[in-house]
Amino acid sequence: MMLKVIGGLLILAACGLMGIAAANKYSQRPKDIRRFRASIQMLETEIIYGCTPLPQAFHNIANKVEGTLKSFYHFISEDLSVGFSYSMVAAWSKGLEKLVCDTSLTSSDKELIDNFGKVLGSSDREDQKKHFELFYIQLKQNEEQAEEARKKNEKMYKSLGFLSGIVIFILLV
Amino acid sequence: MNKFKIYEVLKYIPKEIKTIIENLSPSLLESMEEIRLRQGGPLILYGGGKEYILDGHGRLVFDARNAYVCTTEDIKNAISLVTNFSIYSFEDEIRNGFVTIDGGHRVGICGKVVLENGRIRTLRDISFINYRVARQVLGAADKVLNYIVNSNNSIYNTLIISPPQCGKTTILRDMIRQISSGIETMGLKGKKVGLIDERSEIAACNLGLPKNNVGIRTDVLDGCPKAEGILIMIRSMSPEILATDEIGRSEDAGAILDAINAGVKIITTIHGSDIEDFLRKPALEKLHKNLFERYIIMSRRHGVGTIESILDSNYKSIKSNFAKEKTL
Repeated sequence: MMLKVIGGLLILAACGLMGIAAANKYSQRPKDIRRFRASIQMLETEIIYGCTPLPQAFHNIANKVEGTLKSFYHFISEDLSVGFSYSMVAAWSKGLEKLVCDTSLTSSDKELIDNFGKVLGSSDREDQKKHFELFYIQLKQNEEQAEEARKKNEKMYKSLGFLSGIVIFILLV
Repeated sequence: MNKFKIYEVLKYIPKEIKTIIENLSPSLLESMEEIRLRQGGPLILYGGGKEYILDGHGRLVFDARNAYVCTTEDIKNAISLVTNFSIYSFEDEIRNGFVTIDGGHRVGICGKVVLENGRIRTLRDISFINYRVARQVLGAADKVLNYIVNSNNSIYNTLIISPPQCGKTTILRDMIRQISSGIETMGLKGKKVGLIDERSEIAACNLGLPKNNVGIRTDVLDGCPKAEGILIMIRSMSPEILATDEIGRSEDAGAILDAINAGVKIITTIHGSDIEDFLRKPALEKLHKNLFERYIIMSRRHGVGTIESILDSNYKSIKSNFAKEKTL
């Protein structure tokens, strides 16, 4: 009897964890977007108040953030300083490609960020400020969508995992 | 050293056009002075007083119809490269119509001007770009130094008058270098020179350090407006000589007057083709009254760097038979 209970609990735990893993995909995206937005806010400060040229600005941000974003900004900064791509848009897109692979950002986030790269640095400060504001609004929309999807799916996957564990447990016992 | 200046400029030229230009023979490439991109227009280079039109494979063509035509993309990329991908950090430069890149080379830009309260706010739709290769010519000022060094171990207040592209900045730079380092053959001891380099063209500073040789006793105020710069220099660096490029506004005139009254010698330049041009500028009226003791008039009659004549404070010619003598 004791063994049965232990085995059952193990199944329950395994299924529950599977559910949590599936739910994580949804809970990660809003976090990723939020983190990205915070880094873009740093970029805005660099541009609007510091007037720092982009390669240097990216470098500064890479020093302040962690993880995947760090390598994203580091990559672009290197690319621009070495003059490898000869264009901001190309460097940004290449960096973004990698960022999307390593995070839970979706293709709609990618498109949005990619478009922002096209205007980054291409106009005077006043104009850049407007682009930043617009980008925040768009990011916010994506974030809300992601949040909604999270609310809907996170709980569902979690309880689904747990419940399926219970079902198996009952069937086996 | 000058031979390689063109390669500093090439770094700021869009890939497509760079590949085309690099097809030129090295000797021809190294003689280039200007590279011009016009949106929808042919790619034209100037060097040694000659014009070169290139096609898409870097071959010279005579008919502009066969030339490589610069695309919108080329111009966009060029602007992006020249401004280090950040137009916003070059707002002032763009307003003035040019950006100075590493090595002191100047990139001129033209487009649609956006006005705000009658003043230029920015340039939009940039469609004309001119890369100008700046060259340092050591010894460019040799021919004129004799006339600006005076007997009591000092120099005269000097104004260089020259149309664009005649080498006035080159001469000024070499004057500064020689006066600052001292000229043994003339018995001139080195002087403390304060250089106000508003456009980073003379010293070509990068991160505050001069990339051109401007002498060992030269302090450089990089990117500073002339009028303010002159006052800062006098207050803080106790210069014996102040040097600056292309004066023109009435504030400049006021500051120079202050400097001369403070006992500092001035070397500066102005756009024009003869002394009359200088006297006709109302903004510089304060400087018309025999303040300058030497006027050097330049042209490109016998090539870049031709000295037309040297005048004294009463506009009398001291020397004018520089015929066929080239300084550059």
